[in-house]
Amino acid sequence: MKRDDRPQRWRMTRRGFLIGLGLVGGGLALGAALGLPAARLALADLLGDGTGPPASFPKEPAIWFAIQPDGRVVMAMPKVEMGQGVHTALAQLAAEELGVAWEQISVTQSSSIGPVRDPAGTSASYSVMGLFPVIRETAATLREMLRAAGAEQLGIAQAAIEQGFVIDPANPARRIGFGELAAQPRVWQAPAEAAPLTPPDRWRIIGQPAPRLDLPAKVRGAAIYGYDARAEGMLYGAVARPPHLGAKLRRAAPGTALSRPGVVQVVIRDGFAGVVAESRLTAYAALNDLELEWELPPPFTHQDLAERLAAQAGSGTPIQQRGDAGAALRGTQVIEATYRTPLAAHANLEPQAALVDVQPDRVRAWVSTQSPVQVAESIAATLGRPADTVEVTPTYLGGGFGRKLLITAANEAAILSAAAGKPVHVGWTRTEEFRYSYLRPPTYAAFRATLDGQGNIIALEQRHASGNVLFDFIPAPLRWLLGSDFGAWRGARLVYNIPNLLVTSQTVELPVPTGPWRGLGLLANVFAVESFIDELAHAAGSDPLEFRLRHLPDSDLGQRFRATLLAVAEMAGWRTPAPVGRARGIACSVDMNTVAAHVAEVGYEDDKLRVYRVWAAVDPGLAINPDGLAAQTEGGIMMGLSATLFEQVTISEGRIDAGNFDRYPLLTIADAPEVAVQILRSGDQPFGGGEPPMGPIAAAVANALFALTGERKRQLPLG
Amino acid sequence: MELTINGQQYTVADEPARPLLYVLRDELGLTGTKFGCGAGICGACTVHVNGVATRSCQTMLAAVAGAQITTIEGLADGERLHPVQQAFLELQTPQCGWCMSGQMMTAAALLAENPNPTREEMIAAMRYNYCRCGAYARIARAVMRAAELMKEGAA
Repeated sequence: MKRDDRPQRWRMTRRGFLIGLGLVGGGLALGAALGLPAARLALADLLGDGTGPPASFPKEPAIWFAIQPDGRVVMAMPKVEMGQGVHTALAQLAAEELGVAWEQISVTQSSSIGPVRDPAGTSASYSVMGLFPVIRETAATLREMLRAAGAEQLGIAQAAIEQGFVIDPANPARRIGFGELAAQPRVWQAPAEAAPLTPPDRWRIIGQPAPRLDLPAKVRGAAIYGYDARAEGMLYGAVARPPHLGAKLRRAAPGTALSRPGVVQVVIRDGFAGVVAESRLTAYAALNDLELEWELPPPFTHQDLAERLAAQAGSGTPIQQRGDAGAALRGTQVIEATYRTPLAAHANLEPQAALVDVQPDRVRAWVSTQSPVQVAESIAATLGRPADTVEVTPTYLGGGFGRKLLITAANEAAILSAAAGKPVHVGWTRTEEFRYSYLRPPTYAAFRATLDGQGNIIALEQRHASGNVLFDFIPAPLRWLLGSDFGAWRGARLVYNIPNLLVTSQTVELPVPTGPWRGLGLLANVFAVESFIDELAHAAGSDPLEFRLRHLPDSDLGQRFRATLLAVAEMAGWRTPAPVGRARGIACSVDMNTVAAHVAEVGYEDDKLRVYRVWAAVDPGLAINPDGLAAQTEGGIMMGLSATLFEQVTISEGRIDAGNFDRYPLLTIADAPEVAVQILRSGDQPFGGGEPPMGPIAAAVANALFALTGERKRQLPLG
Repeated sequence: MELTINGQQYTVADEPARPLLYVLRDELGLTGTKFGCGAGICGACTVHVNGVATRSCQTMLAAVAGAQITTIEGLADGERLHPVQQAFLELQTPQCGWCMSGQMMTAAALLAENPNPTREEMIAAMRYNYCRCGAYARIARAVMRAAELMKEGAA
């Protein structure tokens, strides 16, 4: 055994993207000017329905695009493909502005060092929204450079561009391909003025259902994911896990591991014990040979966590405030309800995985990750090396869902590779994935409201509490300034016109790691808000659709909600009765400025709740690839339904009960409803796509269930 | 020991108690077959053993000696995609794609045995393959579409 005596540095670095938003300085100034509570409300308004990291990307076309001699354009892709179709959507933007045929463009994945470095990572449904101006401007610049070069060569003043050719408009047979132009020696000059962008009425590719670029490889089983990464001479690693959440490794010794055939090395550092072996199965078997002593923290259960949320919910930070809800609720007939959602797992079918090759002067890694730059920084910190000597190349991801922002497996593979002097692959087992990942936090939301004589909401108060979602990613001063975790309260603010409104959110420290899950707080919070709105509609004796419509504000967002709700009502035949034995529920939400409305139709089959059909209308502003967005909507609804009906992580004695899918079953094709999706267009600017379309599903199902049974379910899972 | 995979002979270490999945992925580099749960629940590791859809994470080498094994890499006929692959591509079915080899291998085995499944029969065959991205609506349509493509191809 090689003993590693360097100081322990293998813990995650959790650098925050919010630093880049400039919120710390600006927010503190705001706090000084307005006082802390008002500053927090102003920040909550700013963060509102979601915001993304800054798009600080290079604008030099040569960094983004390589034109091949045959005229094909290879685009360096800053974002990672985890099934959301982002490579295709971003390539559509580029192909549009470059003026090439769709078939001419292909993509190559950028690594943590480039060509297009992306410190923000792929998250928050922000990729298309954030890169929409950047890619179009950069591609338009390149197009104008090609146009100028082509015009010069053709000896004309004004050249046209068509399908990858520069053309003489007076004689279209005179043309030069991009490939030929790019191959000539030339001093390329960026245009003096900003290149004009193609107007929406001339779009050929934006707004069309372009076929996904990643699917030909995926249907052949040829796409390479982090779990599939291979290198010459590579070995496999496995790491000892604590028996309970929060347990610390007090003492470790190799035991008999080194005498097991195939074991190459045992690596023990402070708080870490791992094995390197010739095969994965051998590495995992050898973990049982180690001598390990753990220091166990006090045990707890998932019920303890739920009680902690309930106990602290009263003291939250205001995140939405209008009028005086407290006064308006006093002395009136108050309608009250409390909603809860449990801990949940991401359950990506590809567990986290990384291949890391630590060489004397540099480190190369291939990782299934949403954040290659942060993973590279984390590996560098783990090994005590300069960050610029580490290159992380993201592979395809077998599901992201927020789980693959931090990749512990990469740090583990780095430690083991450094010790073994060979590339080492660490791929977690399903049990590790269930027991040692961060989870979606539990939530609690207590509502009080009162109606006037016409059945309109006069006052509403929501006391919301949740475990961390983004707080582990952001620095302490900013946590203090914000007061509560804005990732946790995503979807908890109400769009409705309510004269006296107060929403508070309390972020509660829990002894279990929690973090972002697809949509952050969206699914849980919309479940609570839109279920309670449904309760008020019934209390007012109103149709749930009409009740929502009449409470919408007369704003642009209100109009978009109205159009989306009416579209889904039309699709579902809301005004016609459901088939016998079934009932329908409706709900809506906004996230990353995308509005979604769902109708679910439910019934009972063999005493089991069954969701037969879901209709979804989604207004993303502009869908770059409507079929891609439809797929995201269908998928988000299924994942959301799985969480709605079945999923909860339970903890006994400080240990997560589920070690595999037998204790944490997912939705199957046999449970899947028919889904109809309509994508609306309300402008020329795309908003979020991966997460927002799933927002209303839990509430739509719960509301349908109430319509069916007259009994209100206020806790997930419902099934 | 000798294995026949996608019509090709391979010699692998004689460890009869090793699961086929690890031999395929780690020893032979056939990474199209995926690890999902290691417990035979999720279906990501599904391959064909003598034409039968089989969980390779639960199948020991001893059980497949002398058998014809087909993986996703062997489903297409060279450049020509299998009708199931064609249909999954045509309907833009995969999202992340991790479960899709298993989905397609399960579907191909179903259609080989029952070229004309009802929707219920299709669901009964596909229901033990998880898809976390939730592509179920398209998977269902794609399997039925593959049955059509097979009929068209046979006609």
